[in-house]
Amino acid sequence: MFLNHFEYFAPQAAKDALDLCDRLGAKAKILAGGTDLLNLMKDKLLKPEYLIDINNVDEFKGIFYEPGKGAVIGAATKISEIERSEIIREKYFALHQAAGELGSVQVRNMATIGGNICNASPAAETPTPLVALGAKVVISSLSGDREMPLEEFILGNGETALAEGEILTKFLLPEPISGSVSRYGYIGLRDAMEIDAVNLAVNLALGEDGRIIKQLKLVMGSVFPRPLVSEEAPEILIGKEFSAELAEEAARAASSESKPISDIRASAEYRREIVAVLSRRLLQEAFSAAQGEV
Amino acid sequence: MGVWDKEQYVREGVPPFQDERRFTQVGKSVPKIDSPAKVRGEAIYTDDIVLPGMAYGRIKRCTEHAHAKIKKIDYSKALAHPGVLAVLIGDEAPKKWGMLPQTANETVLAVDKVRFNGEGVAAVAAVDEETAEIACDLIDVEYEPLPVLLDPFESMQRAGEIQIHEDAPGNILHEGEQVFGDVDKAFKECKYILEREFKTNMPQQGFLEPQAALANYDPQNGQLRLWSSSQIAHYLHRQISDVLEMPMNKIRVTVPTVGGGFGGKAEACVNEFVACLLSRKIGRPVKVTFDRSEVFYTNKGRHPCHMKMKIGLDADGYIQAVDFDNTLDKGAYAGWGIVVLFYSASMIHLPYKVPNARFRGRCVYTNKPSMGSMRGLGGVQPRFAMECMLDELAEMMGISPFELKMKNAVESGYTAVNNMYVPHTEYKRSLQKAVEKSGYLEKHGKLPFGKGIGLAGGYYITGTAYTLYMSYKPHTSVLLRVDTEGGVTLHCSAVDIGQGSNTVMAQMAAEALGVHFEDVHIQSHDTEVGTFDLGTFASRLTYATGIAIRDAAEKINGKLKEIAAGLLGCRADHLAIKDRKIYSIYEAERKSMEWEKVVEIAVNTTGSLAAMGHFSPPRRRGFDLTSGKRAQGANIGHSPTFGFSCQIFEVDVDLETGKIKVTRVTESGDMGTMINPMAADGQVEGSIVYNLGACLYEDQFFDKDGIHLNPNFQDYKMPTIMDMPEMDINTLTDSYDPTAPFGAKETGEGAVQPTFPAIVNAIYDAIGIRFTEVPITPEKVLKALKEKKKGK
Repeated sequence: MFLNHFEYFAPQAAKDALDLCDRLGAKAKILAGGTDLLNLMKDKLLKPEYLIDINNVDEFKGIFYEPGKGAVIGAATKISEIERSEIIREKYFALHQAAGELGSVQVRNMATIGGNICNASPAAETPTPLVALGAKVVISSLSGDREMPLEEFILGNGETALAEGEILTKFLLPEPISGSVSRYGYIGLRDAMEIDAVNLAVNLALGEDGRIIKQLKLVMGSVFPRPLVSEEAPEILIGKEFSAELAEEAARAASSESKPISDIRASAEYRREIVAVLSRRLLQEAFSAAQGEV
Repeated sequence: MGVWDKEQYVREGVPPFQDERRFTQVGKSVPKIDSPAKVRGEAIYTDDIVLPGMAYGRIKRCTEHAHAKIKKIDYSKALAHPGVLAVLIGDEAPKKWGMLPQTANETVLAVDKVRFNGEGVAAVAAVDEETAEIACDLIDVEYEPLPVLLDPFESMQRAGEIQIHEDAPGNILHEGEQVFGDVDKAFKECKYILEREFKTNMPQQGFLEPQAALANYDPQNGQLRLWSSSQIAHYLHRQISDVLEMPMNKIRVTVPTVGGGFGGKAEACVNEFVACLLSRKIGRPVKVTFDRSEVFYTNKGRHPCHMKMKIGLDADGYIQAVDFDNTLDKGAYAGWGIVVLFYSASMIHLPYKVPNARFRGRCVYTNKPSMGSMRGLGGVQPRFAMECMLDELAEMMGISPFELKMKNAVESGYTAVNNMYVPHTEYKRSLQKAVEKSGYLEKHGKLPFGKGIGLAGGYYITGTAYTLYMSYKPHTSVLLRVDTEGGVTLHCSAVDIGQGSNTVMAQMAAEALGVHFEDVHIQSHDTEVGTFDLGTFASRLTYATGIAIRDAAEKINGKLKEIAAGLLGCRADHLAIKDRKIYSIYEAERKSMEWEKVVEIAVNTTGSLAAMGHFSPPRRRGFDLTSGKRAQGANIGHSPTFGFSCQIFEVDVDLETGKIKVTRVTESGDMGTMINPMAADGQVEGSIVYNLGACLYEDQFFDKDGIHLNPNFQDYKMPTIMDMPEMDINTLTDSYDPTAPFGAKETGEGAVQPTFPAIVNAIYDAIGIRFTEVPITPEKVLKALKEKKKGK
């Protein structure tokens, strides 16, 4: 119930935050929204000696969009801000949807997108759409910034590529290619406050004829230790004219690629089944929406 | 104003002065008197109270085993830790407690062995919560693991090898049989016979406020005060007295605002004993508040039941016999066990006429948290079985389930074969109203595949006939005080756990005294300030306090009328009191006085007015009406009167994911007079969501070693606001039980009864699959759909 005793820092500038992070190394944890971190500390699963609160660092916050270039989202941006952002809704719909499904209103007002990623829960809401949208992360340290695709950043359950002295500071979302549409979906027991049994995101682009699939990324959540990008679904669909049969085939392929486990939320078998259903539904939905875009 | 205005306020043909149903305070939807403070965040809950010098208690729990011998407890390091004031272990309070004194077998902290995962093994008092938590970690307990029994059948089978309680051979708390009429003969003459097996889950109450207790023992005068979030101030009082070996008159129990109970706080709880024992040990106030995992560990949720039921109908569809076998998973300790066992037995006798019935049942110990009394105790499981089977039997006969249920439904004045007596029922009208409002007959069997509608009925007791310890004293007493300073004050130790008993008592007292609801002050929740009340359970409070209030008010009214009669120059029995006026029922215009004036004269002449009122339930015995033979446990289930209800659920089943969406619920209930229609609707709506959750989402999981896997609200899934269906509540507004106070019956637990079977019957209507186990998760639905496809 009680947190271990720790020293608390609340730097105001990025440089100070990075400096602290560099000095304190593995003894420190970054406090963003705290909705995961504090629970882990209460359960004594983490006992950091220092907490570096990055909520006061303006450089780590906000949503910036530049036409043709894409969006930059600060890692300490609140999930509720992403949920309500007009530009995210317009350009990166799957992320908008996922943000709206994360926890409760109170949790979304506290939680940050960087926190949701660094916590690296296989059942998390935002990694799937972010990977589907081709997001890259910016990792900062005193020695500078490095970038990598999000799918390389998340290594497994609770594991990331973050090294000592580094802070995840930004997400870079490329400008969606023309005719593209993204969708997010999940299945859980109830309709809110749910930890998903399966979640899924699709990012699909049609050619100018409005029928041929130009680009596709299908990402599965909660069926593997990290977001799982389907390799087979794009092979089946890209360059082809969309049809219900092909979507079904791609969905089955994605399902067979998934490697879920059984736990108290659902069995592996059910999860595989649901991957197929959700894939097909989201592909169909994204296709219909994309046709409207062209 | 309530629904009464048009339909009920004045009945045609009955002169108002003779109309006992012409209410001015009862039947109004006044806001609950405790709501403003709750909404503003000003209500004081037990955990909010801080006393000078208060210490914090915490319980060290066995989280690593579900069944183990305690080899050694070493608390020297904890005791030496700065800020630790005391450590308590099981041996220091070995006296066994339990809701039923006959089967009391729980100790405050484990003695010699732990019987479920999370059982308390030691407790500490410290200067703050954090130190208390550290001290718990410093206590070393050495265990020798024992085989873990999690399934009641396995538990019975392996009882020779491993026994959970030394005095319970076979690992059975109690086994019983009840036979009424000749069941075997009756089945031989039946045309339609159906036999099915059902299994229910292990939901728990899910109240928001975790248990909290604050005890203050005064070493100077030997008095103990206990503040606790309890539903049962009296039974708690008794058990504290028993375990601490102190006379009851040295103990005062006060219940601050309670954040929900649903039966989960209808048993004494370990934190209460621990707070009292530690306070006595250190001579300082001690508070022990649970965190959510402790609520799950100490649980006392609903007994999982393994049920076999057989129902026989004659050629015309009349029920001839019911044979019911029930194996209850008791968990580790006895608690309410025997009562739940025999309540489940009594449930087959209503709300349908069953001339021959047999029950065999057993309550079996397992290494799980103890089950207890959860909203609708003993009723929900057999109702699920019976209502689903009647749905299937109707299909066998080729008639509507509605028709079958109407045919067999009981009527007012019915006496069941076990001598259960129903003074009043409008069950048939509840069925009719729900069917009419939902369009059930037009929809049932006719909706497209994947959509369905299901009907189920139910009933519940309005209080019990007996106390849990053998005593025939009145179950509720109230003290009414009327004076010129405080106005009207009602004293009764009854506890309002959110259901609204304080409000309803104020309305009834105002009605009975002829004053206004706002005039009545309620002094409840306290065993010293309040008069005796048995507790908040068995949906008993409205009825029990109503009768006691009426009794006390009549005495006060008698005095006031005598005085007014002299002043007005008329006979006292010609006077009525209403709307703060005392007037002659024959000459209301000429002979009338302000009530307050008469009170003033009365007080000035003979002093403040006060009167006690009592309620004792009718003493009915359970026996076989056909043979006259007594049946074991058959006194359980009797009640002064019963509430009835019908629910109709409409569902959409996602055929690809198995997800069930409840789209609409139509309800109609018979609860007699609604003292407060708004509060009554709240009870019904709450009941529906309550068991919707237990039917579709909620369950507790244990691994093979008995370790609790979801003792938190993240993984124990209750419905959220997003899962709420549209609800159409049509409680009968003209039901009136002439034997009940103000015509009122229960609704707090009756309305949870039909929910499981109504959902399950709706799912059958949607996809043609009859589920016999809850919760019905999407995974189970999808699996069943696949199997059905394969079968074709």
